[in-house]
Order: sequence, then structure tokens, then C-alpha cells
Amino acid sequence: MATTMSSMRQWRPHAFLLLVIIAAFLLAPRAADATPGFARQTGVACEACHTVFPELTPFGRLFKLNGYVFSNVRQLQDINVNRETTLALAEAAPLSVQLEASNTTLSKRIPDAAVNDASQKNATQFPQALSLFYTGKIADNLGAFLQLTWSPATNSVGIDNSDLRFADHGTFPSVGVPDFIYGLTLNNNPTSQDVWNSTPAWGYPFITTVAGVNNDAKTQIDGTLAQTSAGLGGYLWINNHLYLEVTGYRSAQTGTKNSVTGNVGPLDSTTANRINGVAPYWRVGWEQDWQRNSFFIGTFGLRDATHPAGIGENGPADTFTDYGFDAQYQYIGDNHIFSIYATWIHEHQDRNTANGTAANATDRLDTARLTGSYFYNRKIGGSVQIFSTTGTSDPGLFVAAPVIGSAAGKPDTQGAIFELDYLPWLNTKLGVQYTAFRKFNGATSNYDGFGRNASDNNTLFVFVWTAF
Amino acid sequence: MTLHPLPAALAALFLGTVAAEAADNSAALDLIRRECSTCHGAQGVSVSPTFPNLAGQTPQYLGAQLRAFRDHSRADPHAQAFMWGMAAQLTDDTIKEMADYFAKQPAPRGASADKGEVAAGEKIYQEGVEKQDVPSCMSCHGDKAQGNELFPRLAGQRRSYLEKQLEAFSTELRANEIMHENAKKLSARQISDIAAYLSSL
Repeated sequence: MATTMSSMRQWRPHAFLLLVIIAAFLLAPRAADATPGFARQTGVACEACHTVFPELTPFGRLFKLNGYVFSNVRQLQDINVNRETTLALAEAAPLSVQLEASNTTLSKRIPDAAVNDASQKNATQFPQALSLFYTGKIADNLGAFLQLTWSPATNSVGIDNSDLRFADHGTFPSVGVPDFIYGLTLNNNPTSQDVWNSTPAWGYPFITTVAGVNNDAKTQIDGTLAQTSAGLGGYLWINNHLYLEVTGYRSAQTGTKNSVTGNVGPLDSTTANRINGVAPYWRVGWEQDWQRNSFFIGTFGLRDATHPAGIGENGPADTFTDYGFDAQYQYIGDNHIFSIYATWIHEHQDRNTANGTAANATDRLDTARLTGSYFYNRKIGGSVQIFSTTGTSDPGLFVAAPVIGSAAGKPDTQGAIFELDYLPWLNTKLGVQYTAFRKFNGATSNYDGFGRNASDNNTLFVFVWTAF
Repeated sequence: MTLHPLPAALAALFLGTVAAEAADNSAALDLIRRECSTCHGAQGVSVSPTFPNLAGQTPQYLGAQLRAFRDHSRADPHAQAFMWGMAAQLTDDTIKEMADYFAKQPAPRGASADKGEVAAGEKIYQEGVEKQDVPSCMSCHGDKAQGNELFPRLAGQRRSYLEKQLEAFSTELRANEIMHENAKKLSARQISDIAAYLSSL
């Protein structure tokens, strides 16, 4: 704990942030996820906020930054004697449902070790996921994106990406800031609060199989803390260009309990991946929109010290420092829509070998993704992504095991995704997605030490995804 | 006392917000700042060619369109996708205030376009096309396309927006008898030329 706190104190990019803020003030102003619940609340069609769901347009990003509160339906209202609004509720709740169903075909069957046979080659999921959303305004400056999802793996309903948000506008015309948004977000997945599709939570692939073979080596910011942490943060969106955010995450795990009291907390050594104290998350980015084009470039990161299961609060922690850089370009024409997302995440891991997970004292993990997508009339289109995860060889973390193991002790996984989509309606996507692996867990052939090749994990994924 | 620069900057920012120069907080101006500006620009100069410029538009036309979005009598695709929702809860007073605000903003300068197209478009705009029985546009929209009450200003408007509107009038996606009669007689080439000319003004 003491080690963690002192290292957190060293994390002070104050001067840098200050420079960015000053720079934003000096700049003169210039001309200036997807739910039907939002459509119900705003009266505006999907295409206002989404190019093709779930990718956001500049308007969609602003809707989210403004706290999901923009509403065009009749309100149940109350005011006090000072004419302040004390209640503003939509007459109809902005509820919606999302359904995903799919079929996955693996290139080569998975061994059935129990009876010396093989698994089925196909896996059908109906539903793959079923979600209930409340997405929209709660009060004048308060809104929510709340998602409950039924999981086929556990046959239970659990919390999915959720974001409670307060936002308001301010103005500083005398220093060249005619309008800025300031807001607070309380969310349960680092980057789920982000409004660009080049960060992990809302990045491509937007939908993927749950029945394939996964490469489990992921950076902390790339979904590892999703729905097991809660972060409270503040953000600024200045002059429709500059985004600044700092959020602190703590562990907020569901389905766990304190082994002494039987209550849901405080967490102890029986819970895995506990964040020690607060994990700071930061985000800085610049968006430039012109004509039908929107370009964004940014950086984000997270630093967290975590305890694995079996290690107490005073025991050794692993410290992860993630630096991400991302960029996004969109061309949003009347007929043609073209997008590129680029993401690169570097993770430095200070492993405490005393806790028995890693063999090395320091490890590295790098993830890169480059995606291009095109749609015609928001009806037919597709995407291509090349992806790569590479990292330090660590025989403590990566060991030989059938299908999911690594004979080389390495996480390296590389390949490409090809996807074709057809949207008969704006809120329904039918797709075919093919994932091809060039390398899996460190090798092209016999990567697991049991004769499986990377290409055996190639996956054909056919899906229907609709929200209403 | 040592002040850390980041907390100091943030504190200054938030205190400053409270004390920031008092903006005009009328409901209409607040809506323009928060919502309309996203597509149409804070001063009515649109961000993308998908959306029309509103700066310098006649207040009568702006008011009529907002009322038509509100009562769904203007029903072209973008009207339904964007503006039906946007205008749903607007009161007559708010509509008037919004229309007056955008009408007072300085109209944008035109965009450059191919000289040949501009010349061809100008000829149609000023003289009409006699053999196609198309009257001059100028007679209603003004000699400088500055508009006249319910006849909108067209000068400096986004080229692709103008083209889309003429196509929508032609196919009656956007209902307007006079414009339907005129637009349906124009070829795609002529529509493109007229739009080039008007967007260049």
C-alpha cells in the first residue's frame, strides 16, 4: 500500500495539463451509444447521433458530453418559488431493448478431452445477449446510460456498461472560450465514458463472438476492469475542440463478498483483481471538424495497482501503467460514410513475483488496432481491422495448455477481421464477420504445445443485432 | 502556501464559470447554444454541407419552417430524422426568438465554384428556362437571392443542401406546389448549376 501511494504521488502531470488548459484558453473560437431510448427522448432518428450504430457522429458525441439530457418530449415538471426546476421527468421513460443472436463456426473443432473426441464446430447463441436500457434524462443536467444484460455464460442478469452523468455549459468569452461543457461522470468501465470509437469500450469490433477462442492477454484499460470497477471523474469540452478528463477508479465488483461478514464488502483476498486504492485515468484529445469531415487525435491512460486472489491488502501488488494513443477520422456524406479508427496501447507491468503470477519483475504488453469502415446509405457496408498484441515472454503468465495456452510463453496474437453488414432498418444490423489469426499466443503453428495452429482459431461469426 | 498548478487552474476555471460574463439566458438562445449550434453553427453558419446555413435567412421563412417541422407538414427525410424531434416542443414565442436571432447573424460569404457552372446557373436564376417553361428564380427570391419574407434567402447557401432541396421538391418529398412545378422540369445538370451559382454568392 505504502509503495503504491508513493508511486501515485509521483504521478503528477499537472504541469502538462495546465499547459493544455492554457493553450485551450489562448485559442480563438472558430466557426464552429446507441439506444432507441435516446431516440424516444429526443424525437431525433438514429442517424443524428450515429453514422451506423454504435459509432457516434459529432452530434452524438455532444449529446453524450451534455449528459444525455436533451429531450423533446413533454415533461412532468415542478418548480420552487425561485422558479428553479426541481423536477423534469419525461412522460414516457426512455427505455429500450437490445437483442443479439449469432452463430459461430470455428475453423477447427476444439478437443473434447473428457471422452477423447471433439466439440461441435458451430455454436449458436440465441440470444447472445439481451439487454435492457434506461438511457436518457433524469433531471435537468443529469442523465444516465444504464444497461442490464443477460449473460448466456452464467444464465444471469448483470450490470453492463453504465454511466451516470452531470453536465452543464459555461462561457469565458473574454479569454476566447465562448462555450464549454463541464461534467462529471460516474461509470463502471474505463473508456466507456469516452465519446470516440477509438478507445476500447466502444471500439471495433462492436460485436464479436462469445463462443470462439480468445487471446486472454489484454491491457488493463482494454476491458480488464469493465464492470468490476467504478470511476468518478470530471471532464471539460472546450470550444468543440479540446477534451480533458481525469477519473479515479476503485474496485466495485459484483458477486463477491467479504469472507468474514458475508457482506458484499470490504473486498478481501478472496476477490481477484482488486484495485489497491484509486486508479487514475486520464484523457486528452483534440477534435477538428470541417465540411463533412471529423478528425480526432488523443491520448489516454490508466495506472492501477491490483492484488490477485489469495493475496491480502498488505501483500504484494502488481502495478500496471497503460499509455494509449488514438485517432479517428470520419467522412459523413449524405450517401457515403467512411471511418478510420486507430488505437495503440502500451502497458508497462511492474510485477511483484512474490504473489505467484508472473515470472518476470517487469513485463510489457502492446496492443495496436487499425480499422477502416465504409457504409453506403447507412444500409450496406463493412469493416476491416488489423490487430496485434505483443508482449514480453513470461513463463509464469503464459503456459502450455490445450487451445488456450502458449508453448512459447508469449501473448503475441495478430490477425485481421473482415465484416460485411446490411441494415434493412437503421436499428437492425445483419452481419457476417470473419476473424483470421496469423499468430496466436506466440506462434503460428502448434502455438499451444498440443498441435493447434493459429489459423485453427479462425472464426466465422454470423449475427443479427437489433435495438428497439 | 504552495499552490499546485492543476488544482489552481481547475479552481480558477470553475470559479470563473460562476462569474463568467452573464450570457443571455433566454430559452431560445440557450437552445441555440446547446442544440441548434451543433449542426447549424452558433452563428448560423453550418458545420457540414448536410445542414443549411441559417445566418441572414429571412425570419418569416425560418419561423414557417420551424412550425412546419413541429406540425410535420415539412416531411423530407432530413426533416423527419432531425427536425421533427428538435421542433416538437418549441413554442411560438421561442420560434420567433430563434428566427430573429438567426436572421440577424451576418450571412456567410459564398464558396468558390466552377465558373462555367456558376454562369449557367446564374442565367437560369435570372432568366428562367423559357423552352422548359421554368420562370426566373429571381422574381421570388430577389435579384441577389437575398430572399423576401416567406421566400428564403438562397445566396451563400450550401451547394449540396440546395441540390437536395430541389430534388426533394421535384419528387415531392418536400411539399411545395410552386417549387414542385418548377423543380420537376429541371435536369440534374441544371439543378447542379443553379446550386453552384447560389452557393457562390
